[in-house]
Amino acid sequence: MTTTLPDTTSQTVRRRQAGRSRLVWPAWGWSFIGMIGVWLCIITVSSGSPIEPLNQALTLAPYLVLVALGQMLVITLGPGNIDVSVGAIISMTAYVSVAVSFSMGPVAGIAAAIAAGIAAASCSVIAILLLRVPPIIATLATSLIVASATLLLAGANRSGAAPALRDFVNAKVAGIPVIAIVVGLVTVAVAFALRRTTFGLAVIATGQSFKAAGKAGIRVPFVTAVVYLLSGTFAGLAGGLLAAFISPSTVLGTSYMLDSIAVVVVGGTLIAGGRPVPFGLWTGATFFVLLSGLLNLVGWSVGAQNILKGVLVVLVVVISSAATRTGRSSLRRLLEGRRTQTPTTKEKIHG
Amino acid sequence: MTSSTLTPTLPDTRTRLKVTAAHGSPALLSLVAMVVIFSIAVANQPGILSIPGLTLMLMSAVPLVLATQAQMLIMSVGDIDLGIGYLVGFVTVIAATLLQTSPFVGILVLGTIVIAYAALGLIIQKRNVPSIIVTLGMSFVWLGLGLQFLPTPGGEAPAWLAAIGRWRPDWVPAPLVFILIATLVGWLIVRRSRLGTRMRALGSSPATLEKLGWSLTRTRVLTYLIAAGLIIAAGLMLASQTRSGDINSASNFTLMTIAAVILGGGNFSGGRALPLGATLGAVTLGLITVLLSLINLSSSLQSAAQGLIVLAVLAGRVITERAIRS
Repeated sequence: MTTTLPDTTSQTVRRRQAGRSRLVWPAWGWSFIGMIGVWLCIITVSSGSPIEPLNQALTLAPYLVLVALGQMLVITLGPGNIDVSVGAIISMTAYVSVAVSFSMGPVAGIAAAIAAGIAAASCSVIAILLLRVPPIIATLATSLIVASATLLLAGANRSGAAPALRDFVNAKVAGIPVIAIVVGLVTVAVAFALRRTTFGLAVIATGQSFKAAGKAGIRVPFVTAVVYLLSGTFAGLAGGLLAAFISPSTVLGTSYMLDSIAVVVVGGTLIAGGRPVPFGLWTGATFFVLLSGLLNLVGWSVGAQNILKGVLVVLVVVISSAATRTGRSSLRRLLEGRRTQTPTTKEKIHG
Repeated sequence: MTSSTLTPTLPDTRTRLKVTAAHGSPALLSLVAMVVIFSIAVANQPGILSIPGLTLMLMSAVPLVLATQAQMLIMSVGDIDLGIGYLVGFVTVIAATLLQTSPFVGILVLGTIVIAYAALGLIIQKRNVPSIIVTLGMSFVWLGLGLQFLPTPGGEAPAWLAAIGRWRPDWVPAPLVFILIATLVGWLIVRRSRLGTRMRALGSSPATLEKLGWSLTRTRVLTYLIAAGLIIAAGLMLASQTRSGDINSASNFTLMTIAAVILGGGNFSGGRALPLGATLGAVTLGLITVLLSLINLSSSLQSAAQGLIVLAVLAGRVITERAIRS
C-alpha cells in the first residue's frame, strides 16, 4: 500500500519491466494480517488442532467470496456503483434451486438459480442504462421486486434441497472442502480475466475514469451491463449452493448485502473503483468468518460481534485511505458523474 | 442558488421562475405522483377524507419525513448516510428502554450519538474517506448496540413520548402538523440560514467555499451534527407511534430516505437541497405502502409494486428533466 497507483496492471507491468526487487505491500496485506491474528487468537483460546478453525472457515467463506466477487466487479466500475440487491437475489435463488432440483435434478437446479440471478440483475441493468436511475436505487428497486418473488416462491415450495447437491457442498478432497476449491478456481478465473482479457481491462479502465474509457473506445454501457449481470450470476450461484448448505429461507441472504461490501473493502479493493483485488476477498472473507468464530468461542453476543465488525470496517477504511491517499476525492469525482472538475483541486482542498 | 449572496443585484423574477422550474420540476413530478396515489386511495376508501382517515394514512410517513430531511442534509454536502435505518431503530430501542428507566442516561446516550455523528463528519473530511463506507460500518455498530440493549422487540416508550403519539386534534390531522414542522425545519436550515448556504457550497464547490474563508471541516461537522438531531427526532417519533423499541423497525429507512431525496429532486453529487421535495418524496413513498395495503394487493406482491413505482417515478423524472433542459 505504499505505492499510490490505484491500478494493479500498470503496477505489475512496471515491476516486471524494471525488474526491481522492491517489496510492494499488497493491497490484501491488512486483511491477511488480521486473518492470521484472529487465527492465532483462536488457537490460544481453544485446545483443538490449529488447522481445524481454518478448515471450518473454508466451508463458510466460499459463499461470501462468491457474492463478494460480483460486488467487487461492480464496485470496481467506479463510485456510485454498488449492488444492494445481492442479498435478496440469494434468498430468491435458494428457493429456485430447491424447487427446480426437486423435479429436474441438482444440475438443473443450480442452472435455474443462476438464470434467476441473471434475470434479476437484468432488471437493474435496464433501470441503470435505460431509465438512468442511480445504481444504488436501481438495485434497491430490484431487491424489492425480488423480495416479492421470494415470498411467492416460499409460499409455493415446501421441499428440501436435493441430496446430491447436499453431498456436493459438504464434500471434501484431502481435507479441503470441494466448494472452496471450486470458488477458488472461479476467483483465479476472475483475476485472470481482470488482468489479461480486454473485457477485464475495460472494467478497470471504466472504474478509473469512465470518460477516458469512453473516449478510448470502450463501450461503457456494455461493460456496465455485463458487470451487473455477473454480480447477479454470482449471487444466484451462491444462493443455489447455500440452499443445499443451509436451507432456503426468506432472510437467507439478508446479511450478505452488507457483508459482501465489507469484505470487498477490507480485502483492499478501492471503494473509489478502478482497483480490484480478487485475492483480498479470500483474506477478507476468511478474516470475517474466523472473527465471528472467535467471538462465538469467547461467548460474545451477536450485538457485540456486529459492533466490532462495524468498528473494524471503519478503521480499515481510515487506515487504508491514509496509506493510499485515496478516498473521498475520487469518490466524489465519479459520484458527480458528468460534471467536469479536476480531481487534483479537490485533493488539494481535502488534504 | 447562492447567487443572491454573491452578486449585488438579485436575479429578476423571470430568471428566478426559470431556475425554480428547472430545479423544482422533479419535486413537481413527485407531487403529481403523490396526488395520483392519493386519489386512487380516496376512490377506494372515501373514508380517508376525514381527519382520522388522513391521520392513519399519513402516520407512517412522519418518521420517514424526518429521516429524509437528515439524509437530504448529508446528501447536500455530497455524502450518503447508509446507517440511518439502524440508527433510527437504535433510537427507538433507547426510547423504549433507557429513556423509560433512567431518563438522564437515555438523554446522555442520545447526546453521544450526536457527538459520534460529529466525529464521523470530522473523519470523513479530515481523512478523505468515503462516507458510504464509514456510515455502512457505523450501521453495523448501531445494529449491534440495538441488539445489545434489546435483543428482541419490546420495551415501553415513556409516557410523554406516547402522549405525543396519541395527540389527535379535531381540526387537523396530527401527522400533517409534524410533517409540516419537519419540512419547515429543513427549509429554515438549508434555504434560510448561512450554514445552509455553506452546506450546499460544500457539496457543489468546496474550493470556492474555502477561498471565501470558511472552514470546510466545521461546515461538514455541523451538517452531520444537525442530521444526527433530525435522525434522533425520527427515531423518537417512530417510538411514539409504536410505543416500543425494535432495532429492525426502520431498517428499510436507509434506502427509502435516499430514494425519497432523489425523488424530490436531490442528487448524489451534492450542492442541492430541496426540503419540500424531500418531504414530497418521503410522503409519496409512505403513501405507496398504505395504498398497496388498501387495494388489497397480496402482501407478497407489495414490495415489488413499491419497487416498480419508485422506478417509474424516477424514470419520469429523468424524462421531464431532459425535456426542460433541452
